Amino acid sequence: MNWNFDVLPDFIFNGLSLGAIYGAVALSLVLIFKATTLINFATGELAMLGAFLVYVLHMEQGIWLWLSMAIAMGLSAGLGVLIERTLTRPFDPEDHLPVVLITLGLFLIINAVAGDIWNYQVRILTNPFGKFPDWVPSLGGDRYVEVLGSRLKYQSIGIWLTLALALFALSLILNKTKAGLAFRAVSSNVESARLVGVHTGRTLGFGWAIASAFGTLGAVLVAPQLGGVNPNMMATILIYALAGAALGGLDSQGGAVLGGILVGLIQAVLVTWGGVVVFGQLYMSILQLAAAFLIILIVLLFRPAGLFGTRRVERV
Amino acid sequence: MSAQAPRRFTPVSVAGLIVLAGLLVAIPFLTTTTSLRQATQIVVSVLAVLGVNIATGYGGMISLGHGVFVGVGAFATGYYVGDLQLPWLLAIALGAITAGLAGALVGVPALRIRGIHLALVTLGLAIVFRPLSKRFPSITGGVSGRSIDARFDAPGWWPSDGRMASSVYRYVFCVLIVVLVLWATWNLVNSRFGRSMRALRDNHMAAAIYGIDLVAARVTTFAISAGIAGLCGALQVLLVPFVSQDKYPAQESLVIYASAVIGGLGTIWGSVLGVLARTVLGKAGSALAGYDGLGPLGEFFDLLDESAFVFGVGLIILTFLFPRGLAGLGRKNQVPK
Repeated sequence: MNWNFDVLPDFIFNGLSLGAIYGAVALSLVLIFKATTLINFATGELAMLGAFLVYVLHMEQGIWLWLSMAIAMGLSAGLGVLIERTLTRPFDPEDHLPVVLITLGLFLIINAVAGDIWNYQVRILTNPFGKFPDWVPSLGGDRYVEVLGSRLKYQSIGIWLTLALALFALSLILNKTKAGLAFRAVSSNVESARLVGVHTGRTLGFGWAIASAFGTLGAVLVAPQLGGVNPNMMATILIYALAGAALGGLDSQGGAVLGGILVGLIQAVLVTWGGVVVFGQLYMSILQLAAAFLIILIVLLFRPAGLFGTRRVERV
Repeated sequence: MSAQAPRRFTPVSVAGLIVLAGLLVAIPFLTTTTSLRQATQIVVSVLAVLGVNIATGYGGMISLGHGVFVGVGAFATGYYVGDLQLPWLLAIALGAITAGLAGALVGVPALRIRGIHLALVTLGLAIVFRPLSKRFPSITGGVSGRSIDARFDAPGWWPSDGRMASSVYRYVFCVLIVVLVLWATWNLVNSRFGRSMRALRDNHMAAAIYGIDLVAARVTTFAISAGIAGLCGALQVLLVPFVSQDKYPAQESLVIYASAVIGGLGTIWGSVLGVLARTVLGKAGSALAGYDGLGPLGEFFDLLDESAFVFGVGLIILTFLFPRGLAGLGRKNQVPK
C-alpha cells in the first residue's frame, strides 16, 4: 500500500471538474424528470449531437468557439422543443412506457445518424480552456496554477466558472421570469398549474429546451477529456450523470449538480486515487464504471428519492 | 388484461403459423451455407426477444439490459465447451443456467426498484457490460474477442455429409430448440406460476394479498427470462464459434427490447413477430440504401442500412400507431398496462 497524499489534490481537482460536467448532464436529466417524471434516455445522444454542432460550426466553418457554443445550445434547445411538441406531447404523461420507447427510439436514431455523418472515429474539438488567456498573470504555467503543490488546470477552473455562470442564469430564469414560474408550477403539480391557466405543453417544451442546452454544454466541456467528439462519447458519461441524478434526487436541480460532483469525487478520489495509487489496482476504468453503476443501484434500492429529492408516498 | 383464459387459436394465427412453418421447412432447401447460417441466427434471436417479453410483457419489469444475458450465455457456453471440453448439449444448458443465475442477481434489486427506475438500472447494466467484459480476456477474449475451439458438426447418423449437411443440422437443431422453448413458455405463462406473474404485473399489492410470494415470483421470472436470453447466446456460439464483447453494445440490448415491444408485449407470438419485423425492416432498409438513382437523396437512404436507425424510426412510428405492437393489431378492448 502506498498512501501517496502528495498527489491527492490532483485527483480531487480532477474529480471536481469531471463532477461538474456530470452535474451539467444530470441537470439535463433532472429538468425533464422534474416536470414530467420521465427519464429522457436520449439525453446523452442529444448532448453528443450538440457537441457535433459545435464541431461543425467551429472546426469546419471557423466560427468563434464561444459563438459556436451559443448557437449550438440554441439549436439543441430548438430540437428539444421540437421533440417535446411532436413526439412526447401526444402521450398521456401518466403512462411511462410510450415515452420511454420514444426516447429509446431517439437514442438509436441520433446515434445512427451521427455515426453515418461523422463515422465512429474521435474528432478533435478545440478545448475552450486549453491555455490561460494572455491577460492573466502567470502563476506557474500557461495551463495550470500551483495549488497545494499540485497543478490546478486552467481547464478545471474554466469548467467551474462556466457551470457556475450557467447555474446562475438558470436560477434567474426559473425564479425571476414568468416562464420559470410556470415551469415551477407545472413541476409541482400539473393539474393545478393547468387550472390556474398555465399553458402546460408550452412549459414542458421550455423545460426540454433548457435541458437540451445544458446537455450540450456538458458534452462540449467533456469533449477535451475524451480526446474529442465521437458518436459514442456520451454512453459512459450518461452512466455517471444518471448516478449523479439518482444520488442527488431525480427531481432536485441542486441535488443533480451536487450529486454529479459527488460522483466525480468518488470516481477520482475513492476509485482512482484509492484503487490505483494506494492499492495498485490497474483496472481503473472498469472500477469507475462499476462504481457509478453501484451508486445507481444502492441509491435506488435504499433511498429512491436520493439525497435531496422528494419522497413519493405510494398509497393503495 | 387480467384474468383471461388461455387463448384459442384464431384463423389468422393458424394461417400465420402454417406460413411460418412452411417457410422454416423451405429455408434449408433454398439457401447456401452462409445465408442458412444467417437465417439460423435470425431464428435464434427470437429467444432473446422472448426473454425480454417474459420479464417485461408478463412480469411487468422493464429490462433494457437483456443483451447482457445473451452475452453472458455466449461467453459461458464458449468457456464450457472450449476450455472445459464439455459436450455441446451440456455446455449450452449450463450457459443458459449461468445467464439465468446472473438474471436472478438482477432480479433481486428488481424487487424494490420498479418502473422507470428499473429501466435506468438495467440500461446502466447494458452500458457497463462491454467495458466490464473486456477486463476478463481469458473468458471473453478481451477487446478483439476469441474463437472457441469446438465445432458443432452433424453426427454420423445424419443422412448426408459435407459442409451444407452440418449447416442444415445446426439449423434443424436450433429451430427445434426455439420451438420447444416457445411451447414451454406458452405453457409457463398459462400455468399457475404464469398467472401469479401476470397478477404481480397488474397489481403487486393485490397479488401479495392473494398469497403470491412476491420475492420468489419476481426473482424466478427474471431468472427464467435471462436464462432464455442466455440460451440465445449459447446457440450463437454453436453457430459461430467466436465470442466477442463488441457483439453486445448497449444498442443491442435496446434493439432487443424494441423488438419485443414492436412485436407486442405479453403475447408469445409477439416475440416471433418482433424478430420478423426487425428482419424485414433491416432488409428493406438495406435494399433501399442500395438503390441508386435517387440523386442527393441517396445519401439519406444510406442511413437505412443502419439497422439501429431503421429500428429507432420503426419504434417511434409504432408507438404512435400500434401501441399494442404487431401482435395486438387484430385485438380490441384490451388496455395495455
